[in-house]
Formats: sequence, structure tokens, C-alpha cells
Amino acid sequence: MRVSSFKYLVKQGFAGLWYNRINSFASLCVVTISLMMVGISVLLSMNINRMIGSIESRNEVIVVISDNAPENNVNLLGEELAKNPNVSEVNFHSRDEAWQDLLSTFSEEELQDFRYITENPLPDCYRIRVKDIDELSKTVSQISTLEAVDSVQSPDDFASILVGIRNVTTLLFTAVIIALLVVCFIIISNTTKTSVYARRREINIMRYVGASKPFIEIPFFVEGLIIGILSAAISFGITWFAYHEVFSMFSTDVSMLSIFGFKALIPFDEIAVKTAVAYLVVGVLLSSLGTVIAARKHLKV
Amino acid sequence: MVEFKGVSYTYPTGQHALNRVNLKIDDGEFAFVVGANGAGKSTLIKLILREITATEGDVIVNGFDLSKIKQRKIPKLRRTIGVVFQDFRLIPNLTVYDNVAFALRVIDAPTRYIRTRVPYVISLVGLTNKAKSYPNDLSGGEQQRVALARALVNDPQLIIADEPTGNVDPARSFEIVDLLKAINACGTTVMMVTHQHELVKYFGGRIININSGTIAFDEVIGGADESQQL
Repeated sequence: MRVSSFKYLVKQGFAGLWYNRINSFASLCVVTISLMMVGISVLLSMNINRMIGSIESRNEVIVVISDNAPENNVNLLGEELAKNPNVSEVNFHSRDEAWQDLLSTFSEEELQDFRYITENPLPDCYRIRVKDIDELSKTVSQISTLEAVDSVQSPDDFASILVGIRNVTTLLFTAVIIALLVVCFIIISNTTKTSVYARRREINIMRYVGASKPFIEIPFFVEGLIIGILSAAISFGITWFAYHEVFSMFSTDVSMLSIFGFKALIPFDEIAVKTAVAYLVVGVLLSSLGTVIAARKHLKV
Repeated sequence: MVEFKGVSYTYPTGQHALNRVNLKIDDGEFAFVVGANGAGKSTLIKLILREITATEGDVIVNGFDLSKIKQRKIPKLRRTIGVVFQDFRLIPNLTVYDNVAFALRVIDAPTRYIRTRVPYVISLVGLTNKAKSYPNDLSGGEQQRVALARALVNDPQLIIADEPTGNVDPARSFEIVDLLKAINACGTTVMMVTHQHELVKYFGGRIININSGTIAFDEVIGGADESQQL
């Protein structure tokens, strides 16, 4: 194809977009919303995974040993724990160490309150780390049945809430995204239909004078391409802004910090390029494929 | 060249439009096609343009066998044919020049060629001073001449004029046919469908009369204006 023809077709694409601007705007909105939904759900699940990861990394399960368990059984328990496929680390923590640790967390004044406690009330325990937090409750129940175990304490509540949130949001977003994609195709198809209708005279003449199929279809493809690129840019801008707001909330709010730590969220700079590329690829594919499919349906060349 | 060999066409509704039609229009010929509404004239044109395919028989146009032609070759076929319609089919938001140039742009013609070819063709139909006007500012006759220029611009072997004078006032109709005759004199085959018997009588030549899907009459008659006979 000649450069002049290429320029002409691109110009026709822009002209069609402008001529059909209300429908084009509808397409733009729905593609932008779809992109943002995909983006938000992916970013959310990435960040939840990271939070789960950070909880996971410091997640200790404390296996409390029965008071009167013989030393032999205690050693055996240690070996049993190490054999569990979901356990990555096993550390024995004697009751004396535990007591010293506890006391060290108090100030001199507070220690005064401990004067009357003459006997160490704490039990011996094993501190273990699990590999996969999704399996945590299963592992905990397995350990509970072992001999010489008094009780198992795991701060798994929060982790299980996060896992739950992640699973529910994944499901929810998947459903919403599928629904939005259907809406996207319908609206793009409708936009293309009106665009074909607006240009019916030209198309009719193009057919009679022997314009090739690509020549008739390319302006529609250009329309789709422009909508895709614009949607990607807008989605990226909004995502950037929203992410920065949430990120600064997480990194300045003390209670958030205490739960998640400093690096709970992925800084946007780390994922900006990936997000932009993903938006562009999905946006362009969605809208240009949509227009071409619709154009083929409505154009009898 | 247009050749129909035992061509029948039945619409999907079951209506028989053409019934075993045999017809041959040689290169360089001028033929009037006449007939009542619904006789099959439009079907004939649609078959030539390969908008529809014959249900039976062979249609051969400018060397293309239309029953075997591949979908992507159809634009190539259509580039050998220029079509003029009763309703002109000009693009209202393009000037005369751009309407004519449009036909070349959309077939990927070089810009340099468009710049020389378009003014030439516009001068052939006598509209050089209206090149910058818009179709709605022109008379029916002028609009049809623009349409003719557009049909001519990519130098087709065959011109099909489907009632080109239907929306043009009678006095101007003769001018349109004169133009077609002049084009024909340069070697282009012309097939003109018309309802206007006075035109046929005046110009004479080959008359093909279609009636109820068959050719009722196909002969050369002398016209009132003998000077037009070549």
C-alpha cells in the first residue's frame, strides 16, 4: 500500500470517529471501564498476595507442649513436626527462654507487677513456620493430633481473611469482567454499525469502483485502534492517581503500618510499565478486534 | 465484453428474475437495454457487477468468469467497469473534484496520477469551472456528469449506465447520452438501461428488450439522428 493511501485511510478513521462521536464516546467509556476493572482486580490480587506473603514470612505457629510430657516424647514431636510437608522451620523454645523474652518486653516499672509470680507459668513450645498459608488450618489440625501437644496457636485468622478476600474478589472481578467484555463487544459492535451506516454512501461507491476489502475495512480498524489507545491512556492515568492515593494511605496510616508493615503494597513505579503495556495491549486488542469483527458482520463487501 | 450463456437467476424468495438468457455485447459496442419494471434489467446489472451469482449458466465480463471468480478478485473485476446510477450517488460533503478523485484514492492509485487524471476527466464532461462546487449546488444533469466522470476516471473497459437520465430533465438527457456516445466512440463498451423510448428512438443502435426474464427483442435499429451512428 502507498504512503498516501495509508495517510488517507488513517484520516478516514479519525473522520469516522468524529462523525460518530457520541457512539465513539460510549465505546471509549466502556472500554476504559473494562480496562480499569481488569487492572484493579489484577493490582488488588497482586497486593493481597504480597500482604499474605509478608504475613506468611513472619507467620509463626506456636506448638505448646504438654506440661508433663516426657523429654523423649518432646524430641519425637520435634522430628514429627519437621516431617510435615508444610513446615519449613522448627525451633524449640524452652519455657525459661519464653519467660525471659516476655519479661524483656516490659519496662522496670511494669516489672514490679511481676514480683509475686515466683514460678514460671509458661510452657515449653516449638515455634514453626509454614510454607503455604492457604494450607495453614489443615496443618494446624494435623499438628493438634500429635502426641505431647497441648495446643496449637496460630495467628491465622487474619491470613485466612486475606485469602478469603482474595478468592472472593478474584471470583467477583472475573464475573464482572466477563460481563463487561460482553457489554464492550455489544457497544463496539453498535458503534461500528452506526459508523458503517454513516459511511454507507462511501462504502457503496467504494464497492462499485473496486476498492479492495482491506481498503474498506481499515478506517474502521483505525477507529477501533484510536479508541483502544485512548482508553488505555485514560485507564492508566486514573489507575496511577488512585493507586498513589491508596499507597500513601497505607504508608502514612499508623494502624495500617502496624498490620502490614512498610512494604505491604507494591510501589507503583515497580509496576507502571507493566500496567501501561497491559492496558495498551488489552485495550487495542479489545476495541480493534471488536470493530473489525463488527465491520465484517455489517459490511457486505 | 459481456457474455451471458443460458443464465437464469432465481431470488431467494423464489421469484424467477431471469430465465436462460443468452446475450453478448462485444467490446466497443453501445447497447440500450429496455424493458418494463421488474422485467429483469436490474438483475442483469447485478449479475454483471457480481453482486449476485447466476443460479444457472455462465456470465463472463471483461474476461472474468463470474461463476468461478474468487471473492478477493471481485474488486479487480469492478475496476474494469464504471457504473452510473439514476440517483447519481455522489458524496454530498465532497467537492466535484474530490468525488471523482475518491474513486481513484480508494483503489490505491498514486497521488501524482490522481492530480493529473481527475482534472482531465472533469474537463471531458465539461465541468472544469465547477470542480470546487458541492453536488447539492449542481443541477441534475451536472450531477450526473460528475457521476459519469467518476465512472470514467479509472479508465474502465465497460460503462454501465442504469437509467442515467431518470433524474435529469428531458432536454439535458440528450446531453448525457451524447456524452456516453462520445465515450463509446473512444472504444469503451457502453450498456445503458433506460425507460425513455424517445431517447432510444432518437439515437437508435442496438436495442435489447427484456420482458419477464427473457430477451424479447435484440436488434439494431436506425435512429432519428443518423449522425450519431458510427
